[in-house]
Amino acid sequence: MVQQIGWLPMMTDTTFFNFDEASYAYENGNTILSAIDWLIPEGAFHCLVGRSGCGKTTLLKLAAGLMHPTQGQVRVKGQLVKGPSQKVGFVFQTPELLEWLPVIDNVLLPISLHRSVQAEDRDNALELLESVGIVDLAKRYPRQLSGGQQSRAALARALLRWPPALLMDEPFAALDAITREELQDDLLRLVSLRKTTVLFITHDITEAVYLGDQVVVMEQGRISRVVKIDLKAPRGINFRYESSFSAHCQSIREAMSKKMSEEV
Amino acid sequence: MRQHIPSLVLLLCLLLFWEIMVRIMDVSALIVPALSAVLLVLWDGLITGFLWHHIWVTSVETLLGFILGCSIGFFCGVMLGEMVQLRRLLWPYVLATQVVPKLALGPIFIIWFGFGMTSTVVITALICFFPLVENTMTGLQTATPEKRDLFRMLGAGRWKTLVRLKIPAGLPTIMAGVRVAIVLALVGAVVGEFIGGSEGLGASIIAAQGMMDSTLMFALFIVITMLGILFYQITLLFERWLLRSWKKGKIL
Repeated sequence: MVQQIGWLPMMTDTTFFNFDEASYAYENGNTILSAIDWLIPEGAFHCLVGRSGCGKTTLLKLAAGLMHPTQGQVRVKGQLVKGPSQKVGFVFQTPELLEWLPVIDNVLLPISLHRSVQAEDRDNALELLESVGIVDLAKRYPRQLSGGQQSRAALARALLRWPPALLMDEPFAALDAITREELQDDLLRLVSLRKTTVLFITHDITEAVYLGDQVVVMEQGRISRVVKIDLKAPRGINFRYESSFSAHCQSIREAMSKKMSEEV
Repeated sequence: MRQHIPSLVLLLCLLLFWEIMVRIMDVSALIVPALSAVLLVLWDGLITGFLWHHIWVTSVETLLGFILGCSIGFFCGVMLGEMVQLRRLLWPYVLATQVVPKLALGPIFIIWFGFGMTSTVVITALICFFPLVENTMTGLQTATPEKRDLFRMLGAGRWKTLVRLKIPAGLPTIMAGVRVAIVLALVGAVVGEFIGGSEGLGASIIAAQGMMDSTLMFALFIVITMLGILFYQITLLFERWLLRSWKKGKIL
């Protein structure tokens, strides 16, 4: 049931993110990422798990164009990534809402930065807030919201212009278990609406298995294991208690800990 | 209002103590005049309109210097905060404008700008300049690296990041600088008048000194203090209004 596939980089038309021997090292020689090869097809939901400091966030920033590989390259839809692109939305570890703006204006930020906000933009934003369940908080200010509500607002902001791809850096890590599960379901529902490509970073194995159709394990700047999660979608609450779910989690955990013990 | 009552009671006690001590110890009016005498002079000055003119002059100087100094300070703070090269080049000079005793510059300003209002306004502006430069520069660094990355991801250029993120994020810090500046501005105006003024509250103190009129000097102290508190409170109200969105949710 658990299928582990070998690594065969192959460019196709439907590839969204393409890491081609992408490496990142600091000037002092500290290597963060070494020769990452990774293809993420359009519409796929890939999760990246790894322990703290393995280079997950750096990888995500390379995909975002916030950082540039010191060797190799990163391509988005065949185009070399030279800087941040409007095709890609980013969700940070913390909600990063502007505390001086009400929620609705925070969600509208991707538009208001570039042009004046129209009535239909406002309707779109309200619709998104509705779908993440905080439409009645639209006029509140971020500090008046709970952590979960803030994360929902941040998700709505990232989705406002429906970028074809979302990069998410442990966005739910600080939330309690129930809130996190709710947000995971909301996220899956929203990205399936428009077949959004997602690269999702987490250190939570169960979260990775629940969300991803592929889970990539990273270890000290390298991809050490790729696990395909060929389980049914949509995944509901019961899915979390199925034996196949646990089997996947266990296999990923083994992949992570085995590597560690080999190095000791 | 309620929380101010102890403060007011303390003030009344101190004033009463002043009056009683002066009477009991029979202090010369030249050294410390009695409160009642000071209040009488103050009242007289306000009724005849003699004080109002000086209050007006000092207020105008304070506010002109304050607005001028704050505007230039804010502008320079933004420039220095945004351009590292410029900051490296100019910071020692900005610091020099602050550490040089502004009073010592008074005489040269009088030569340049003549006696009267202009010199005082320039000294006041120079005093207000530094807190704004300093706090604006610091304030612009308030926005977290993540928020800057967010703006980069949203395709905001340097100008938009400055106007929509860095300045709003730093506004509470910048306003703290403004609050410091308004207090310093009044000091600057009064001291400026000491050197080169013929009108205003500072000039009046010098005039009162010439006449050995301690009672008038004390009355002027009270006026200057009240004026300072008034300016400060107005600035505070303005700040609260400006930052009303920033404060939202501090207390749920």
